[in-house]
Amino acid sequence: MEYCDILIIGAGAAGIAAARAAHGAGCTSVLLVDRKENMGGVLLQCAHHGFGPNLNGPEYTKKLLENFPKSIGWIPNVTVLSVSGDKRAILSGAGFGAKEVSFQQLILATGCREIPIGALPIAGTRPKGVYTAGQMQEMMNLYGFIPEGPVVILGSGDLGLVMAKQLAQTGLAVTLVEQRPECGGMVKNQRCLTELPIQLQCSTTISEVFGEKNLEGIMTVDGRYLPCKTLLIAVGLRPEREVIFGLENPDWLHLCGNCNAVHPMVEAVVNEGKRAGIAAWEKIRGSL
Amino acid sequence: MRYFDAAVIGGGVLGCLAARNLMRWNLSAVLIEAAEDVCTGITRSNTAIVYAGYDNKVGSLKARMTVRGNRHFDALCETLEVPFNRCGSLMVSFGPGADRVLRKKYENGLQSGVSGLRLISGPEALEMEPMLASGVSLALHAPSTGTVNPWQLGIAAFENALHNGCEPRLQTWVLGIRHTNDGYIIQTDKGEICCKVVLNCAGLNADKVQELLFPPSVRLFCDGADFLILDKHAAKPQYIIFQESEEKGKGVTAVPTVDGNLLLGPSQRPLDAKPWATSHDGMDFLREATAQVLPGVDLAQVIRSFASVRPNPHRVVWRDGAYIPDGKSIGSFCIENPAPGFYSLIGIKTPGLTCADELGVHLARETAEYLGAGERKSFDPYRKAIHRKDHEIICQCEQISKAEILEAIARGAATVDGVKRRVGSGMGRCQGARCSLEIERLLEAAKRGIL
Ligand SMILES: Cc1cc2nc3c(=O)[nH]c(=O)nc-3n(C[C@H](O)[C@H](O)[C@H](O)COP(=O)(O)OP(=O)(O)OC[C@H]3O[C@@H](n4cnc5c(N)ncnc54)[C@H](O)[C@@H]3O)c2cc1C
Ligand SMILES: Cc1cc2nc3c(=O)[nH]c(=O)nc-3n(C[C@H](O)[C@H](O)[C@H](O)COP(=O)(O)OP(=O)(O)OC[C@H]3O[C@@H](n4cnc5c(N)ncnc54)[C@H](O)[C@@H]3O)c2cc1C
Repeated sequence: MEYCDILIIGAGAAGIAAARAAHGAGCTSVLLVDRKENMGGVLLQCAHHGFGPNLNGPEYTKKLLENFPKSIGWIPNVTVLSVSGDKRAILSGAGFGAKEVSFQQLILATGCREIPIGALPIAGTRPKGVYTAGQMQEMMNLYGFIPEGPVVILGSGDLGLVMAKQLAQTGLAVTLVEQRPECGGMVKNQRCLTELPIQLQCSTTISEVFGEKNLEGIMTVDGRYLPCKTLLIAVGLRPEREVIFGLENPDWLHLCGNCNAVHPMVEAVVNEGKRAGIAAWEKIRGSL
Repeated sequence: MRYFDAAVIGGGVLGCLAARNLMRWNLSAVLIEAAEDVCTGITRSNTAIVYAGYDNKVGSLKARMTVRGNRHFDALCETLEVPFNRCGSLMVSFGPGADRVLRKKYENGLQSGVSGLRLISGPEALEMEPMLASGVSLALHAPSTGTVNPWQLGIAAFENALHNGCEPRLQTWVLGIRHTNDGYIIQTDKGEICCKVVLNCAGLNADKVQELLFPPSVRLFCDGADFLILDKHAAKPQYIIFQESEEKGKGVTAVPTVDGNLLLGPSQRPLDAKPWATSHDGMDFLREATAQVLPGVDLAQVIRSFASVRPNPHRVVWRDGAYIPDGKSIGSFCIENPAPGFYSLIGIKTPGLTCADELGVHLARETAEYLGAGERKSFDPYRKAIHRKDHEIICQCEQISKAEILEAIARGAATVDGVKRRVGSGMGRCQGARCSLEIERLLEAAKRGIL
């Protein structure tokens, strides 16, 4: 069985920062793994500017990875399937199938996942053309997909706004539907509402979805029918802690970034990652 | 024109098992399905329960088939490598009216030969299933009730039918049927098929398919149903829970599925214009009823809702220039035989899944007898499941690997949904948000032959 002092699951902003901090503090056996091919996590699909504070996601990732120490172990294309209470993780990768790695400290930096439409009390059909906002962001920015308009976006938080802006910029008609009386995102993200022809309908939500094979439209609870070919669900994110399910807060486990709590700003994620990296190494040093 | 001894119309669980059972006999067969894949109809949206048989009228075909079908389910699922869990069920009541119903069902069950049935007190039920609400007055425990993945059963039967020589015709609509001297010609949008025997298993269209050649006798009048699915991590009962409500037809059913989720449903409501659309009324009903019967179920953990269509068969009579229903839904399984060599299963509702193999065996035997076909010595009943592999995970929630997905595509999955039905990808808490794209790309690559 392979061994490392600190295993870090997830190489987004939090995981990268944690790995660098642990290594910088003196840990010589850090292993960072991610199910994706490249480090960066959700940053890689963020084409918009606004990270740190004027870079786009990939540029910010590059900055995080400047002079990334070669002695930090890094395995891409690896999914961690589970972690057990006796400090072992099962890794699954393209090259090697499944293997076990034991560790002393575990840093969980697995980010978050989106809430799907099925979780919402929305009636009607489930035709093609319904996506989560982050899914669409990945499809557009990493795979060059362009959806069909008109587009309705449910939820006007930061992610909903970022997507509304990008879609409006490609020339599609966009309507945001927001349950609260006003838009939910950060002020800087709200700017697109005045700069671009984006409709915002507040104090309402989607009641029903129409369309047999392909999406045709939605009905709001106040009885308005909006024809659309694409519906994005942007109603929130949930911390992703799947692999540690069933573990009861062992003292060797550190959570950082969006799997700990969903953060609007990447700086906070990086700081949390750093703290987790140092805390993990302190635990090991303390026990020596 | 191609000739077959027997043609099955409809590739739901009934058609697939009929086709598989046909192959036990020395005859040639074809399965005609309108959709691009099998098991996309009612087979995809039902309660997934293998019933014990105490609900049905003693001595009826339904009761006999259910008890026998249930008994044979382990063997069926073992040979086809389909997950089946005989978890047992508790039918619970919360008042005197429903208590009486339970006692009646208990008597029924005993007479029909349902094994292991017990009437137990409320406190005893609570001890067995602590998630039940404390007001339970009586419970009927049926240890033989189980749950299966319905579409996987249908797909497995389909694969095994093909393995034994049945020919598939997918994406093929039956548009007309006519008589020949000694059989039938089925007209489809992809040409004609000649056969001696027709097994009409066309689900919601079974009445219309029969009427392509025969005058109306039975028609389907449908109502709608809704279901909710909860995340795997949500607390769930270990037993299938049936609520026998004081108000008839107003109970909820909760099923811990073989996939590890909790399934709540079905609601019962009129069908509106959009057959497969969920309704607020239905979903609200499920939430309210569940909160009453299983208060510990965390309804914030719902990850999916879906709808189904319940086909209720009615005899129709000709009156005043129109065929009108005679008023009462047919209670037993409606197996029509309007002419020699033509069989229709019309409006097979609950417990159709439980009895799917029994019905298939029955139709196949009738067919063989009619054709004078002997047993096929080379029939191979075994089908291998797609085995779990754990490298290169694509569906993160359900931990489904690339190898499994490619195997599903090789076995006939044509869409992301087809892959989902075969290996369970996209069924988890993100509902495919993170893997659909990658699966779509694999499907695309497979179509272009670059894998
Ligand atoms: C759409 C969007 C727009 C944003 N815009 C801005 C902005 O403009 N400005 C700003 O400052 N902040 C922004 N943020 C916030 C901030 O950038 C992110 O919250 C931050 O990048 C998240 O980092 P993370 O490391 O916690 O998670 P992620 O970047 O999500 O990284 C998690 C990583 O873990 C991996 N992983 C998960 N599970 C496993 C497993 N079992 N095995 C292996 N690997 C696994 C994933 O593949 C992923 O790479 C935005 C966030 C989002 C979602
Ligand atoms: C809400 C609900 C819950 C249920 N729960 C249970 C349960 O828990 N346990 C149980 O035992 N039973 C249950 N049942 C019953 C069981 O699900 C059905 O009996 C069974 O699935 C019916 O299968 P099928 O093959 O007839 O239907 P389908 O799966 O609908 O298959 C019919 C097929 O025929 C095809 N077709 C239609 N017209 C044509 C045409 N013209 N040409 C070619 N092909 C055509 C369709 O595309 C379809 O694939 C339930 C039923 C409902 C409605």
